Amino acid sequence: METMKTDYAAGGAAPQGDWVTLLKDNTRTGGFGAPSLPSPAAARWQSRVGSSIRGAPVLGQGALYATTTGGDLHAVNTDNGRTRWQFHAGGAIHSTPALHGENVLFGCDDGKVYCVKAVSGEKTWEFKTDGEVWASPVAREDAIFFGSADAHMYSLEAASGKLRWKQTLGGRIYATAYAAEKQIYIGCGDGHMHSLNSASGKILWSTATENGIDSSPALVGDTVLFGSEDFFLYALDAGTGAVRWKYETGLGIASSPAVQGDLAVVGSKDGNLYALEVATGKLRWKTGVGEVVTAPPVFGDSIIYIQSWGLLALESATGKVLWRAALGAGVQSAPVISGRTIFLASNGGELYALE
Amino acid sequence: MDRRTFVKRTCIGSAGLFLGGLPALAGDEVALPQPPPIHVHETHSEKQSPLRMPGLYPGRVVEIADARVIVRNRVSQATVHEMLEHAIRELTGESSPLAAWAKFIQPADIVGIKINPSGAPACYSSPELVREIVSAVQSVGVPARNIIVFDRFGYEMDLGSCQLLVQPGVRVVGVQDSKLDTSGYDGNVYCEAVFFGEWETRSYMASIVSSGVDKIINVPTMKDHSASGVTGCLKNLAYGSFNNVARSHKQPYSFTNPLIGVMCSVEPLRSKAVLNIMDGMRMVWHGGPLTQNPDFIYPAGILLLSTDPVAMDSIELEAIDTKRRERGAPSVRVHDPTSLTTNQHEFYTDASKNLYYRQPGHIAAAGKLGLGVADVKQIDHRKLQLT
Repeated sequence: METMKTDYAAGGAAPQGDWVTLLKDNTRTGGFGAPSLPSPAAARWQSRVGSSIRGAPVLGQGALYATTTGGDLHAVNTDNGRTRWQFHAGGAIHSTPALHGENVLFGCDDGKVYCVKAVSGEKTWEFKTDGEVWASPVAREDAIFFGSADAHMYSLEAASGKLRWKQTLGGRIYATAYAAEKQIYIGCGDGHMHSLNSASGKILWSTATENGIDSSPALVGDTVLFGSEDFFLYALDAGTGAVRWKYETGLGIASSPAVQGDLAVVGSKDGNLYALEVATGKLRWKTGVGEVVTAPPVFGDSIIYIQSWGLLALESATGKVLWRAALGAGVQSAPVISGRTIFLASNGGELYALE
Repeated sequence: MDRRTFVKRTCIGSAGLFLGGLPALAGDEVALPQPPPIHVHETHSEKQSPLRMPGLYPGRVVEIADARVIVRNRVSQATVHEMLEHAIRELTGESSPLAAWAKFIQPADIVGIKINPSGAPACYSSPELVREIVSAVQSVGVPARNIIVFDRFGYEMDLGSCQLLVQPGVRVVGVQDSKLDTSGYDGNVYCEAVFFGEWETRSYMASIVSSGVDKIINVPTMKDHSASGVTGCLKNLAYGSFNNVARSHKQPYSFTNPLIGVMCSVEPLRSKAVLNIMDGMRMVWHGGPLTQNPDFIYPAGILLLSTDPVAMDSIELEAIDTKRRERGAPSVRVHDPTSLTTNQHEFYTDASKNLYYRQPGHIAAAGKLGLGVADVKQIDHRKLQLT
């Protein structure tokens, strides 16, 4: 049986076609390089996998992996939407799964992070925290990083699930960490963005915002980008945590920014998608896409995809809405793009393959 | 039925009930259908709690205002803290906040905080207020793990990032994750009625209410509601504790009156809901409960505290109707066929339009069931202004 490649685990781009974690890979490219697709004509398949799907699906080796609030991880055949296997965890699942080597990792409301084999769904290990884990575990080389609602950041050995370190932070953690080579960046419910030493968990710096941070950060060069419930998108110096600029939107930001070249795009709960210059924070365009935007945007070559009670495609240069598809009624999930196919998950528990 | 009782609540229609302080209408402009009987299957109480609705202070409502609490659409945590401390002392007559909270909560209690996330993120039970309530409950000696912030719909709480923004250790529970999920409901406690010929005629109480908590602190928002007239204490408790409630509306009619009051009268909900803290920092005067239109959201900057949900909702109704009059919108009491629309966009952009004949009479009906004081002339309405 063929095993998955692991070259993306060091923090680089995922193998062509695979989409192994939130926003495609650990560089959070948000799919940059994917083709800019026209409005989908039809659903190649549609599959109901149970109750609500809150996290984004991920893709590897011909299978789509999706979690449900009914407590299941489903491995779904991308050709026909049929479930290959399903793994039942001990509570509802809100976490976006992550592929790492031969395994799938995800967090659960029972406080555990589970590691199961991608080919069979057999459990490899589990690790218990004292709060629900909504964040997506991030894998880099041989380590796993994730935060828990118990207000701790954890690092585990990827192979065994054994604890490497644990760091106490000031609030609940629901955002997914960004794992750079030596530093971890993570936002917290107490409003602080922290940088931790990835080897020891030691806090290197902390920068306060005015409310909790639900948004998963992106790293662009030496700039950390993230949104806060205080309505601002922040750009911090990755080395020191100093605020380089911040941009005010109309409501809180739970969406994670996606970056293409010098353009950062983020959604706000005020219903708008904002495109800003990474270096300056200057607004390039702003487009209303729905009543609330909490999902992360995804980049095609010249198109941005966003889920907001349906799927929208916008021209990345101007923000002009190119098309809308009334499928994928989710506001937290993000599409997966592979070849000419767009995979979507919905709040209603449906998976779609659109072409 | 052993320890359960099966009763039929007196059916109370809107006609003839006392409507409160505003001038009473000459009569409904249209003939509305009469509500059907509602059968209640509930827990039998051996001993009634002294804290049961209308609670320790029937007819008393404390309203506290502070202009600093909403600045550029953000809530000031420090100001909420100050407002809540003043208001709880005024409500109870105690000199210290700790003694005031101890009137309602004991260290061994499992405390539910019933929020209203409908309308998030523009207007919902503010996390800043919820955090202050959590801290106050902890100050009495309740550990964080015995505090549960809950609502029926987890996805609505997600939109407000409610899970993220409360203190570590506090449990945050969405009773159901999809419309058809009934696993979080108690099959032994329900209200049964046929409103529009529907097949699913029962509404079950959430298990977290019937058996998961000892006390409930109710944290409604201050909103117009297209069907019930306003959504305040009563509706947040009733439609936020029972499932399958949307069936009580079918355009243009709504049987929120009397269903809301009947549901609030069901034990053990009636005994457990010991305190109401209304978030009036933002007031939705049209488009409720879900509007995101800032034109209809007013930064009123107030909190209301009461043990009496009927009295508090009566004050809320006055406030919302007053704001509507200021803005040239018709009263929520008006039943005018020309105001009806089936166009959602029109409803969300035009304050003269509505989807249903609103039923604010549900408040007075709840008063008739003994849940509190509906006559505003009889309400001890205490207004405090901090700055």
